[in-house]
Amino acid sequence: MIQLGGSVVAVALLVAFVRWLGVARPTPPLDAASAKALLDVEFPDHRPKATWIASDGAGLIARDGELALVLYKRGDGYVARDLPWSAVASLKPTSGRVTVRVSDARPTFAVSDDVWPPKELA
Amino acid sequence: MLKAPFDPVQLAIPFFVLAIVLEILLGRFGKAKANYETRDTAMSLSMGLGSTIAGVVFGGVVFATTVGVYQHRLFTIPMTAVWAWVAVFFLEDLTYYWFHRLAHERRFWWASHVNHHTSTHYNLSTALRQTWTGGVAGTWLLWLPLSFLGFPPAMVAIQKGISLVYQFWIHTEAVGRMPRWFEAVFNTPSHHRVHHARNPRYLDANYAGILIIWDRMFGTFIPEVDEEPCRYGTVKNLGNFNLLHNVFHEWVGIAKDVAGAKSPKEALGYVFGPPGWSPDGSRDTSHTLKAKWRARVGFE
Repeated sequence: MIQLGGSVVAVALLVAFVRWLGVARPTPPLDAASAKALLDVEFPDHRPKATWIASDGAGLIARDGELALVLYKRGDGYVARDLPWSAVASLKPTSGRVTVRVSDARPTFAVSDDVWPPKELA
Repeated sequence: MLKAPFDPVQLAIPFFVLAIVLEILLGRFGKAKANYETRDTAMSLSMGLGSTIAGVVFGGVVFATTVGVYQHRLFTIPMTAVWAWVAVFFLEDLTYYWFHRLAHERRFWWASHVNHHTSTHYNLSTALRQTWTGGVAGTWLLWLPLSFLGFPPAMVAIQKGISLVYQFWIHTEAVGRMPRWFEAVFNTPSHHRVHHARNPRYLDANYAGILIIWDRMFGTFIPEVDEEPCRYGTVKNLGNFNLLHNVFHEWVGIAKDVAGAKSPKEALGYVFGPPGWSPDGSRDTSHTLKAKWRARVGFE
């Protein structure tokens, strides 16, 4: 038990050290070029016709026919998920944010107004 | 000798900690490529801590089984002979190669191993992101033939520990390429970056523990190419930083698929097929992802 306690303390100290001095990957807000580059990497077999970037640049939703391609920030990277467009179109923004339900997360996206779906994707 | 007089991994823990601190500092001061994200690191270190606890839980069963097999050994191999250490070095490393290949190419064992690969970072803390469910997956059975041959369980345990300690230092982007002769024979940061990459080009490659020669022999070696930097993680990266989700998500996925299977054959496919297998082929496996990538590259 003493060894376990010591290990827990060591882990906590190391995590604190990373929080203090660790260098995460830079993830500036997405713009059109970086969004396209990200889509090309994460969804190489899709050719989305329209892309909407969250107003804070921390994620995007692209539409490829009846499929929504979702990319949201997790830590200092992005997670890719796809889901039926109908599931995204039926969302209701509240207080400037819209929450998407994917299999293992509930990412939220900042919207500039409460109009949904955004004109880029409609 | 049955019980190992020392555990190389336990002895190396202070070195692990110091090396991680050094890598963080090198990254901070721009002396080496080393990215650390707080929650990612917390998960890696927590996985490492949890794996030692899981190891204690399953350790008794593994030890008892190994000793039981050793009692019916073919030969008695002396732990004091140099040739015996040379032999166990190669045989244990060969065993590790096949364990590791199985752990990637069949979903039941991938379910246990996947959590080592869920970090989207590649730094020394990633090395400590070890499984909690290896005992359940039963991959430790693969090492029993060594005891049946006559290698003392302590000898096998020490060599397994040495292999694990060796593999710590190769989890880094701070080291580019080692000298050519070294890259030809040993597993290196470059080779292992490929192994942790999710680019279709690099999937299912470089399973080596210490010696990369096994991948070269069995056709699974892929070199790192500068034109295509490695992107780390799994094909479908985790959507959250939940520790228990990381540990169990693939097991849960198997259970759901088996529950929805329409026949025993389908159920077996979901459990023992390659990760991503589905009866109608609607999901991607490494094989299909590589085929699509080749088609894209060919057409571009």
